[in-house]
Amino acid sequence: MSELNEMSCEEFADLAAELALGVLTGRERARAITHLDQCDTCREHVRQLSLTGEEMLGLLPSREPPAGFETRVMGRLGHPAIARRPKRTRRMLATAAVALAAVACGLGGWGLRGAISAPSAGNPHTAQASVRTAALLTAGHQTDGRIFLYNGSPQWLYMAVDMDADMSNGMVICQLEASDGHIITVGSFHLDGGYGSWGSPDPLAAGDVTGARLISLNGTVLATASFTAAK
Amino acid sequence: MGIPADRLPDETLLAGFGAGDADLSLAFVRRFQRVVFGVALTVIGDPTTAEDVAQQAFERAWRHAQVYDSRRGSVRAWLTTIAHNLAVDVIRVRTSAPVDPQDLPALLTAMTDTPERFAVAHDNAAGVRRALAALPAGQARAVAMAGIYGMTARQIAEVEGVPLGTAKTRIRDGMEKLRSAYLREDVGDE
Repeated sequence: MSELNEMSCEEFADLAAELALGVLTGRERARAITHLDQCDTCREHVRQLSLTGEEMLGLLPSREPPAGFETRVMGRLGHPAIARRPKRTRRMLATAAVALAAVACGLGGWGLRGAISAPSAGNPHTAQASVRTAALLTAGHQTDGRIFLYNGSPQWLYMAVDMDADMSNGMVICQLEASDGHIITVGSFHLDGGYGSWGSPDPLAAGDVTGARLISLNGTVLATASFTAAK
Repeated sequence: MGIPADRLPDETLLAGFGAGDADLSLAFVRRFQRVVFGVALTVIGDPTTAEDVAQQAFERAWRHAQVYDSRRGSVRAWLTTIAHNLAVDVIRVRTSAPVDPQDLPALLTAMTDTPERFAVAHDNAAGVRRALAALPAGQARAVAMAGIYGMTARQIAEVEGVPLGTAKTRIRDGMEKLRSAYLREDVGDE
């Protein structure tokens, strides 16, 4: 114990970069880690060097993978996404899991924080944010999807539809109903074999939404959702 | 008005990838496959092995998607690190000299001043890129060999034909200069 504890900050500084890059080995590594456990300043130093190393990796050139790569990855993960769709129940569970995971992981919901692929920062609104969800029901009370309203900053809605494959291909329209009764068309998206998912900034205050409708381009109401009072 | 899956934020795609949503998973793989394969191919050199490593990287990301912490860094950086760790593990088993020093100048050029890198790299990397370009050649090679190929100071000393102490000093000094550039990025927008 005693000998391992004897590394000074000056000695550590000579090894910090190697430790941060994961190339320090053997006795030097053991001594450095022992020092690190006891020194907040050196721990912060190594953290900065590690982040610098990650930044350097970000400079490596991108390369086009061999043809079929994405198919092989999806197959390896058991996703039949390209060849055929997963079963209806599993899809709906997955959609709900997306909603929960996005919030539970402190991802700031689905808010568009800056540009795609931009570095992320913590979202101070996460703690106050909540998700409201409601089933999209057909006239026959069959569940054909779910809508999620994220009451964070920015507000966000996400809709996943999973109706019978022969029911719908093509564009559908999402509308929201406000508490004063007026209807607002939020946008449209494409169903493929009855399946589609789509997200959009929420034009209404999430707490002001009392319902949602999914309609076809000819105006037929395919499914509706009803929200209870906002939390 | 709607936003298709391929334009959703990285964090949303990762959440969908981890949860098993087919469309979001496909969009996630499509968005990052060039980055992941690029890292693997750079480190390993062999396209076949690099593809296997890249696939493993996505598999690992899928398994650990729920522990990703956005406060720790971007999805891209997280995924890059996963791919890099897997690739380094492969070459450490395979060889004691993962890179020919003759190949390093071309790699360093690609990392610092090719048009593609300026177009693709996120803005925050500009300072580190410039600092890497400004490093003395010996330091840049040492930083690349350690940081990209996972070579120890002893391996670098052997490859470069310099004393061990010199290799260690080059790694330390080079990384400290890059760290300073990184911290300047963190303080002010570039």
